[in-house]
Amino acid sequence: MDKINDRQKLIRSILYWGLPVLAVLLIAFGWVMFSGQHPELMPTPAEVWERLIKTFTKPIAKTSLVGHAWASLRRVLLALFVAWAFGISFGILIGWNKKARAFFGSIFEVIRPIPPIAWIPIIIMWFGIGEFPKILLVFIGTFVPLVINTSTGIEMVDKINIDVGKIFGGNNRQILKDIVIPTALPSIFAGIRTSVSSGWTTVLAAEMLGAKEGLGSLVTKGWQGSDLALVLVSVITIAIIGAILSVILQKLEKVVCPWND
Amino acid sequence: MERLSKRLEIKDVSKTFFGDKGYFTAIEHVSLDVYDGEFLVVLGPGRCGKSVLLNIVSGLEKQTEGKIIYNGKEWSGMNPEIGMVFQKLALMPFKTVIENVELSLKFRGINKKERRDVARHYIDLVGLKGFEDYYPKQLSGGMQQRVGIARAYAADPKLLIMDEPFGKLDAQTRYQMQEDLLKIWEKEKRTIIFVTNNIEEACYLGDRIVLLSDCPARVKEEYKIDIPRPRDMVSREFLDLRTKISDNTDLSI
Amino acid sequence: MAADKKTLEAGLASWKKQKKNEGIKYIFLSAAGILSVLIIWQLVVMVGLVDEKMLPAPTKILDTLLFKVGNKAPDGNMLLVNIIASLQVALSGFLVAIVVGVPLGLLMGWWTYADRFIRPIFELVRPVPPIAWIPLVVVWMGVGLKAKALIIFFTAFVPCVINSYTGIKLTDQTLINVSRTFGASNFEIFRKVGIPSSLPMVFAGIRVAIGNSWSTLVAAEMLAASAGLGYMIQIGRTVARPDIVIVGMVVIGAIGAILSMFLSKAEKYFLRWKINR
Repeated sequence: MDKINDRQKLIRSILYWGLPVLAVLLIAFGWVMFSGQHPELMPTPAEVWERLIKTFTKPIAKTSLVGHAWASLRRVLLALFVAWAFGISFGILIGWNKKARAFFGSIFEVIRPIPPIAWIPIIIMWFGIGEFPKILLVFIGTFVPLVINTSTGIEMVDKINIDVGKIFGGNNRQILKDIVIPTALPSIFAGIRTSVSSGWTTVLAAEMLGAKEGLGSLVTKGWQGSDLALVLVSVITIAIIGAILSVILQKLEKVVCPWND
Repeated sequence: MERLSKRLEIKDVSKTFFGDKGYFTAIEHVSLDVYDGEFLVVLGPGRCGKSVLLNIVSGLEKQTEGKIIYNGKEWSGMNPEIGMVFQKLALMPFKTVIENVELSLKFRGINKKERRDVARHYIDLVGLKGFEDYYPKQLSGGMQQRVGIARAYAADPKLLIMDEPFGKLDAQTRYQMQEDLLKIWEKEKRTIIFVTNNIEEACYLGDRIVLLSDCPARVKEEYKIDIPRPRDMVSREFLDLRTKISDNTDLSI
Repeated sequence: MAADKKTLEAGLASWKKQKKNEGIKYIFLSAAGILSVLIIWQLVVMVGLVDEKMLPAPTKILDTLLFKVGNKAPDGNMLLVNIIASLQVALSGFLVAIVVGVPLGLLMGWWTYADRFIRPIFELVRPVPPIAWIPLVVVWMGVGLKAKALIIFFTAFVPCVINSYTGIKLTDQTLINVSRTFGASNFEIFRKVGIPSSLPMVFAGIRVAIGNSWSTLVAAEMLAASAGLGYMIQIGRTVARPDIVIVGMVVIGAIGAILSMFLSKAEKYFLRWKINR
């Protein structure tokens, strides 16, 4: 009896740990096979690795891969700080004040469904392809989710929490600051998380359509120069940085909202 | 027992709610007095009326008809001398125990050291010493409600309103909390209006019981309880009182 | 009592009137918000503070919009043709994403081994922003409908999987246990308990997916296309016609709003059916 159980357990744990390994191996195998048969459609892993090394030894547009990554990251971070300041304040305003919601909320509702990427052409027409228009684009892409999450979070605060504030002598400003905003904090943070991933996507789009440096510009450069290995190197870098950003935010959320597991 | 001055008079108060589907009268011509220092229990069977009455007294809602007289003066709006313990707890999940308790002091602009001292005193009083820095989520239901009581006490109210504070607790915890509440009250006397739908709880706690009818709530009867505390829940007189009230109560499912 | 009733009826009537006035006030405020933006915009252009070649006035935008309804210039398609081209791309990618993504998420959420096998593949694909796929997809498949739909698929697929996965993971364990005591097989429980209880989350995922699809569409079409709203915007930019660009943005926004409105109506209808059952 025990023996059978042991064997079952063994099989289960082999499946449990073996399946993910198998999946990764399958992908790797598929990649090698496909790139071997169609080198014009897909570079081999070895080629991608070599291309990665080359980005350091032979910089593109006088900048190494790290420099390009930093260029993209810097744009996103700059835009994010501005968007956090304005988006969260605006979200609080239209979530808390009904008249402000009616007046400004309607304007926001009209602008909101326009995807950030659709702003790219007009912004380029207005401001060219310098640094400011890119930051502005990322700002647009991050502002919207911040406002939506913040204002929804504020609106959803349970009435009883506000009653508690009134009973214990809080004025409007105190209730907003000490009760309503902290209650909405998890939802505001959800907005921050969305804003980061949306900002990361938007900056790529902006760079792909015209930039001297940045990971998006590398993608375009590789694409136009039929250098697919460079495209892959950039895409993988983009994915890794995106994943790191989302892990950092998860950790940060635990620090900012420790009560909220 | 000497008759003390009237802390609060509810005079002929009615409340009707209006909505898209029509209107609904929650309380109808309720009049009752609350004396200084007494433990008044408002006992009501139904789901309607009780909380509404408390919200009117505390100023969270406005009555459709009638008057609230506090300390001899007609009153409307929020009353800073009234504190409240909520059935739904309504503790701030993002504040620790001590931050929850000191809320009213913070709103009053008292400096941090002083309000921490006051908060500690009441946390001690409700028996939560050592839990100051816990988040409400980390505490049991009974302990959470103790935080609610400490928070209300820390506001130093003249009149303390408790809206079915033990309604969501299991029977064992509930008995313990009733006993402890009386102990706290003996130590720091406040005028208390305690709302419940539990007859036994009402008989155990109250100096006086005001029995409300089912929807719309009206005052049905008043009982003065002279059984000395601590009350024995299986004593003859206690059971008699309980039966008497029970027979007079509207059934509510 | 009768007199009482009369005053209450009167009270109700006055309450309703007050509520209606309140509603009108807010509608008025909303309209005032939008109108004031339009008026300021118009004035700024008319006074000459902003060059008309950079930002045409709202009236000009309206003119261009009406013009595009019946004319092919400058991008070679009438507005409706562009709209249909875009919708065709977005919806085909979106639908495939639902058909593949939702069952996959449900499967992964219910069967551990499926989760263990698929998860690593999914996690490799997930952090890649959909736009970054464009060059690879174009090299693989050209710039036809299939290629663009594949890009849309990538963007809509991820929220479908994640939400279905989370939704079915949140199935109440009690319900599962009860079904088990009644002798239901694992598959039966999956079908009759797991799937229905995951539906609200699945719908939330679908809503995110349609939003993603529509916004990525523009990117796909701006990089490579011969028709569609994104293409129209891109042409507007190259021929320096900001009015065309803004018309494109407005139409994209409007259709995006209509799509999400339509979806939340469908969601309400669908979930109510579930509750009634």
